[in-house]
Amino acid sequence: MSRDNLLAEDDSTLRGWPGLPDSLRRAATGPATAATFALLVVPFALGWYDAALFSPLALPGYLLFGIGTAIGNAVAPRFEFWLYWAPFLAGSYGVSVIVGYGYERWIARTDDRSSL
Amino acid sequence: MRRRTLLATGGVLVGAATTGVVSDPTGNDRLLAAARDPGDGGEASTTTERLLADTDHETTLYAIDAPSDGPTAMIFGGVHGDERSGIDVAHEVTEWYPDAGTLVVVPETDRVAVENDEREGVDGDLNRHFPADEEPRSALARGVWDAVERHDPDVVLDLHRSLGILGLHQEYVGQAVFHSPGADGEALADRLDDDAVPWYLPFHRFTSLESNASGPLLFQHAARELGADGYLFETTEFLLDRETKVEMTRLATAHVLSLHGLLEAGESA
Repeated sequence: MSRDNLLAEDDSTLRGWPGLPDSLRRAATGPATAATFALLVVPFALGWYDAALFSPLALPGYLLFGIGTAIGNAVAPRFEFWLYWAPFLAGSYGVSVIVGYGYERWIARTDDRSSL
Repeated sequence: MRRRTLLATGGVLVGAATTGVVSDPTGNDRLLAAARDPGDGGEASTTTERLLADTDHETTLYAIDAPSDGPTAMIFGGVHGDERSGIDVAHEVTEWYPDAGTLVVVPETDRVAVENDEREGVDGDLNRHFPADEEPRSALARGVWDAVERHDPDVVLDLHRSLGILGLHQEYVGQAVFHSPGADGEALADRLDDDAVPWYLPFHRFTSLESNASGPLLFQHAARELGADGYLFETTEFLLDRETKVEMTRLATAHVLSLHGLLEAGESA
């Protein structure tokens, strides 16, 4: 095994995603994924803490959380709304991964074109 | 490419934040100042009554007479004892100065429920004790209704809060104005949206719903028996802190008084 391959393997292991294809690993942990997750969660969490801190940036998280509670309330009416934080965080991460994957694909295609 | 992407993203974020600051509703200081400050016509005079005196339900009613003649409005807080925003605002309203008419306030209508911080008092849900074509169902309801008949209000406003939002959460009724036929619930909801609900919280926009007069709620009974314009205001616990709920309830109260001529803040209020 070459030194480069060893480093790549170590790097992948260190990141905690051994065995995942590179494209999926980047979609799961890449900067676009992290930025999308932060955009969905942080402004909304600020508004949750203090309603005066709601801003337009909280709108995506607000919509996701609101629709989630509407569905949850229709299915299981007696849950308190703070319990929806867990599915909200999971859903936000899912959306972020999709955005991150799309972003990685877009970057790869752009790089391919510029190398022609 | 990455630098351009970063710049574009940063631009969007700054733009969104700026739009938010610019479009953030600023309340309605002019209207609230009109409510809190004595007008030019002179001081209002306040009298108090003990409702259901010397019983477990004893509670205080405040009657504030404006210097000019006008309609009578009755405001109720604490019909449900754990809905604190309505109780807080009703207490605050006892220090307001109507420009015309008489403002009658009962801040802790079901005082036992308020003290226990529970929705219902000893006889159950007070707001189901006013059935059509019958006497009110409990001693507390009869005592409250005696006071309503004595003051013969033109307008009744009952202040509440729900856990969720009407139309979004199926069993809740928050962010809504229920009103009797003829009362101006739609104008009230529009004014509240303008003053208190930012565009980026669309689920929190107020809905107005005309209520039939056959139900057992206090505002329905007042509309049915006395021909009063009745309103039941509901804000929500969902994503709103106490200060925000109180501000929405305060604005709802001031707008009802303005719509019915007790405050002279005018159409532009």
